[in-house]
Amino acid sequence: MLSTPRTPRVTATVAAGASVVLLAGACGETGGQDANGEWAPEQPIELVAPAETGGGWDQLARTSERVLVDNELVEQDVQVENKPGGGGAIGWSYVDSANDPHRLFVTSPPILLVPLAGESDHGHNDFTPLAGLATEYMTFAVPDDSPVQSFDDLVQRISEDPESVSVAGGSAPGSMDHVALAGAVQAAGGDPTELNYIPYDGGGEAMTQMVGGHVDAVASGAAEAAPMVESGDARLLAVTAPEPVDSLPDTPTLQEEGIDYDFNIWRGVMGPGDMTDEQVAYYDRIFAEMVETEDWQQEAENLGWEQSYMDSEEFGEFLDESYAESAEVLDEVGLRGDQG
Amino acid sequence: MDTLSLLGYGFGIALSPENLVFVFIGVLAGTVIGVLPGLGPISAIALMIPVAYGMDATTAIIMLAGVYYGAVFGGSTSSILLNAPGIAGTVATSFDGYPMARKGGAGKALAIAALSSFLGGTVGVVLLMLIAPYLARVAMSFGPAEYFALMVLGLTAVVSLAGDNLTKGLISAVLGVMIALVGIDGQTATVRFTFDLPELYEGVEFLIVALGVFALAEVFTILARRTAAGSDGTVTSLRLTRGEIGQMAPAAGRGSLLGFFAGVLPGAGATVASFLGYSAEKRIARDPQTFGTGNIKGIAAPESANNGAAVGSFVPLLTLGVPGSGTTAILLGALLVLGVQPGPLMLTDRPEVFWGVVASMYVGNIVLLVLNLPLIPVFAKVLKTPKALLVPLVVVFCVVGVYGLSFSVFDLWLLLGFGVLGYLMRQNGFPAAPLILGLILGGLMEESMRQALQISNGAWSIFVTQPISATLLALAVLSLAGPLLRALRQRRPAAATGGPGNGGGQGESEETRGQARS
Repeated sequence: MLSTPRTPRVTATVAAGASVVLLAGACGETGGQDANGEWAPEQPIELVAPAETGGGWDQLARTSERVLVDNELVEQDVQVENKPGGGGAIGWSYVDSANDPHRLFVTSPPILLVPLAGESDHGHNDFTPLAGLATEYMTFAVPDDSPVQSFDDLVQRISEDPESVSVAGGSAPGSMDHVALAGAVQAAGGDPTELNYIPYDGGGEAMTQMVGGHVDAVASGAAEAAPMVESGDARLLAVTAPEPVDSLPDTPTLQEEGIDYDFNIWRGVMGPGDMTDEQVAYYDRIFAEMVETEDWQQEAENLGWEQSYMDSEEFGEFLDESYAESAEVLDEVGLRGDQG
Repeated sequence: MDTLSLLGYGFGIALSPENLVFVFIGVLAGTVIGVLPGLGPISAIALMIPVAYGMDATTAIIMLAGVYYGAVFGGSTSSILLNAPGIAGTVATSFDGYPMARKGGAGKALAIAALSSFLGGTVGVVLLMLIAPYLARVAMSFGPAEYFALMVLGLTAVVSLAGDNLTKGLISAVLGVMIALVGIDGQTATVRFTFDLPELYEGVEFLIVALGVFALAEVFTILARRTAAGSDGTVTSLRLTRGEIGQMAPAAGRGSLLGFFAGVLPGAGATVASFLGYSAEKRIARDPQTFGTGNIKGIAAPESANNGAAVGSFVPLLTLGVPGSGTTAILLGALLVLGVQPGPLMLTDRPEVFWGVVASMYVGNIVLLVLNLPLIPVFAKVLKTPKALLVPLVVVFCVVGVYGLSFSVFDLWLLLGFGVLGYLMRQNGFPAAPLILGLILGGLMEESMRQALQISNGAWSIFVTQPISATLLALAVLSLAGPLLRALRQRRPAAATGGPGNGGGQGESEETRGQARS
């Protein structure tokens, strides 16, 4: 076990400016505060992607870096650092150990799920939420010639004969694809523990295996499902968005199918646990400006991200809610690993 | 448009001055990075991705593809000269490349590697162009059961890698498979064989094992021998006789084909291809005993196979949007950021990317050859370094390579551990190659076996009722049966003494015949 001290997240509820004097003392050593109580970074901002180059986190980090710098939204340089390992755990402990407001990291559901599986000593409560930047939704796909007609139909078949239906996903049991699937099956009245879930190394691989006839259905991110759907090899049963998605006009949401469930592959940015309100306010401002730029909107479209900006406070509340939901699903499926 | 006019269109794109410059930059950067032990194609591409961001998508992928095959080629250099394979795909090259270099044929070994790589790459591109869309469909018919069978077939290569003692070879292979099981299990997220060390959660990095049991073990052996003699008469000439070319060409041709098709299968990739190429060549050779001592075919086959596979792995990437290896996974990420979604529709949606890449590969392979042949004498001089300098140099390369993976001191201890293991294995006649083979194939074999059994609800019949899987397993049994029977029959001392002499004689006569013809 790592013996890193845990620092509680500073909730950004105090109105900025109201208690400047008190807070100025708290952030003495790294504060770049001017007389107005505003904070600005004094050295390059390090954006940590807790994974190899090329993956989803890396894409988010490098896209943010480029948009921030090209649009001159930051006075300092932005540098992307890749810290792969442990499904993110190595990068999280790297950010936590420095506890420097210039060192942030890009994040998505694994910051909730990996600790829930008992595989990281750091969870979302050890960090300060700064911004929710984009979102993607899960989709459920079947081969085009499959007899399965709707998500309800799929759940029916699973309930009748669980062994006959295999559903693949692009990540390990207990991680994102599985949790989204299990949650949806449960909401549709099925038993998520009966699922025959087959994990592959990525959504694209799972889709190919399905089209090749090796598994019956796939749970994957919308972007990963897109190529096979566009070529007519696969068909989407449903998408886990709360509202119909513009880029998927023919695909019903689970809500439209009468299943009260949505799942959001959100992406955002977090900072270390100890951050002052001024520091949070600074990042709130630059990320809010970033998502408004034309550059960002273009990139988001390329990568299949839906616009869904949340400021630090909304993002924090959202994380707490998602955490509770995911914990429930994992408990239900019996994959919770953080508590005996 | 027919294929030829599409290719013409592709060349129009690839030969634009800008793209030509970036092919060159990519190949050069890839080769230079790949030569350093520990830095393979994945690191090379990762290093170049920031350069590619913001470029035109076609130009970027052309450059990154150049980095990829440049690095695959560059990796063979350290494998041959220092017995320090930087990447899995060039491990098999060291089996004969390093002995040949030790015997004074460093320049020749590198030239064979360069020419075989060129052939592998070129054959791969021709096949990519002609049959990529059809092949993609065939690759899809490979499910977990088929992958398992393929890995089993791959493991039977132990027979040809084991040397004279099959039992020791099998023990070594089993050890390799066991190392592959360390870490968090992908199917149930259970932590296995990690001794509560978080550093082992991700498993044991292949490179650490390879550098340990090959390069570091070699260093220990040299130190233990305490010989002062520096070079073993290094000859830097790279001239090949016609007889040697006559030996190399067919082996490289077979290796190219085999490599390409192995590369097309997601997951199999360059490493499996090079091992399969090596062991197939040894099996059909009339002089199998000379393999491992500097046989030309033993270099040509794996080198052409790993380059063929590097090109082959573009088939699933470009036509299905599925990365077949770690390297192509990174390329896929880069493509997505550049706004290109590879997949079944890419040929119609973004023909300029597909055909531009194909045409640039022809250009890139020529650049690779032109760039590298003149450099060979320079590289080969490494071996002229006095041993007092060479040994620390190899150690530094190993340490830097391993430390660069994750900046973890724990990995360095692991490296030392595997170095000692490799040394002890060598002292006691256990071959290291089967261990590497087991490590490479073990993980994928287990994963696909369990996926298959989960799909079939535990029914083992899934492996024999699927035609492809059944065929592959039958081939595996056949390829084991012959050598095993022979080993049983030869359980007399004759096996140990008779072999090498005969083989050597045969090899020579083949060579003389080749020369006579010329």
